Amino acid sequence: MIDGPEVREAQPPASGTRGRIAIEGLEVVYEGRRGRNQALTSTDAVFEAGSFNALVGPTGCGKSTLLNVIGGFVAPTVGQVLLDGKPTLTPGPDRGVVFQSYALMPWFTASGNIEFALKSQGIPRAERKARAAEALGNVGLAGREALYPSELSGGMQQRVAIARTLAVNPTVLLMDEPFGALDAQTRMTMQQFLLDLWEADKLTVVFVTHDVDEALVLADRVFVMTSSPGKIETVIEVSTDRPRSAEDYGDDHVELRRQVIKLLKH
Amino acid sequence: MSLRKRVDPSAEPDREASGLGQPGDFAQRLASVLRRWLSKVARFVVQWGPSIGLLLLIWELIVRSGTVSRRLFPSPRDTFEAGLSLLEAGVLFTDFRFSLTRSVVGFVLGGIAGVLAGLLTGRLKPVEFILSPMILLFRPIPAIALVPVATVWFGIGERAKYFVIAYSVFLAVWLNVHAGASSVSETHLRVARSLGASRTRTFREVVVPAAAPDIVNGLRYGSAVAFIVLIAAELAGARAGMGYRIQISAEFLQTDRIFFGLVQLGVLGAILDALFVFTSRRIIHWGER
Repeated sequence: MIDGPEVREAQPPASGTRGRIAIEGLEVVYEGRRGRNQALTSTDAVFEAGSFNALVGPTGCGKSTLLNVIGGFVAPTVGQVLLDGKPTLTPGPDRGVVFQSYALMPWFTASGNIEFALKSQGIPRAERKARAAEALGNVGLAGREALYPSELSGGMQQRVAIARTLAVNPTVLLMDEPFGALDAQTRMTMQQFLLDLWEADKLTVVFVTHDVDEALVLADRVFVMTSSPGKIETVIEVSTDRPRSAEDYGDDHVELRRQVIKLLKH
Repeated sequence: MSLRKRVDPSAEPDREASGLGQPGDFAQRLASVLRRWLSKVARFVVQWGPSIGLLLLIWELIVRSGTVSRRLFPSPRDTFEAGLSLLEAGVLFTDFRFSLTRSVVGFVLGGIAGVLAGLLTGRLKPVEFILSPMILLFRPIPAIALVPVATVWFGIGERAKYFVIAYSVFLAVWLNVHAGASSVSETHLRVARSLGASRTRTFREVVVPAAAPDIVNGLRYGSAVAFIVLIAAELAGARAGMGYRIQISAEFLQTDRIFFGLVQLGVLGAILDALFVFTSRRIIHWGER
């Protein structure tokens, strides 16, 4: 991947502490046919390396916009987003993206989708098959290599998509309502799956959702966003012990939930 | 990533069912192949029989009612016999060969050009900006109107036919491929970009497969166009071919031969289209957005 113009702020941090995202004075304005649309007003925030962050808020609060700027898909109008000191001007394999619609290529098998990621990273052909099979095994899909996405359930498809993203060793995982299309039971299974995955890897996760319970169960910090114009209203620390279970809420869950809902209401 | 999960033993495919056994059960396998083949034939007869039967019946009844002269409106039997006479005269296969060569050459040339142009205009904005208005201007010109120009340029030889057919196929294919290539899912393109796929890899492994259902649809439509334009070109002047045969038969008032020519065109066109659908379904299992 071609790097954009680089402005190195500091020495790259040692591995293990990589994946710090700094949002500095970020504003995003979409110029549409019906005039200007301020998607995000001046926003500052930090997602610490190895932390699990959730963005919650109503439609139009700019949470997906923020994710898209980090991902390098949308350019900042004002300000910048720095990943370990480097502006995120173009998409890159250091920031893995998981979409609500899974976004698997229907013409590739489960294995083929992951091999596509490996190919894109220049992994030699001889290694790809084995690495793809291993990646599928890691998400509990051993033996499903040859199945096409249309032959997999929604939860399984999202596991393949996550495995594909992780196959290129990102430092950051950007997830845009990844479990939004799943039924309640599968969603809980996938939340647990993600918690375990994160426990093992400690990637920086930025997780967009409109489900307050989901945000509180998963994240260390919940960024509550409000709309028109989109901005981060408050940051809520969730101190529930880890490793966590997707089935059990922390002691202060009800209280935190009440706070978030109140913030979202006004 | 280091999450360990158990292997799911139930995911192992069932090898028993694939029917690979001892050579002793050859007869059994042959029987099963025959049975499957017979059931396909049966399904075909059930699907086509009633409709075609009714058509032939109405045709025959019209002729028998005597309301139209049999000279102008031959019976199914007359038509069939006209076909036999063409076969005996040795022109049936010559006509077929000439027509087939023309349509295949024209289709291949126009199809390749249409697919390439569609992918380019669908994906590259500057190319689309320059080419689209031109193509949209050319599009409304009926292929038949080009026949005189082609004849002036190339004479009534084969090249005039190739040109007119290729041109018409090109436009038909281009429109479909353009639509497919320009509506590739933005999310898929974002996935490719964020995984670090190069532009050529993204084109080859994302854009082309995503557009493949539209490419196939375009080619299918193009094959029908090739057939139509072929006949138009042959009617305008040729020394052999299915369209030429219809034209010549009209000059001698051989309506039975004309009818046979028409039936032949209908049957060949239907077979061609069925073959297209059959093969494309086998190659492209995704799509049907």
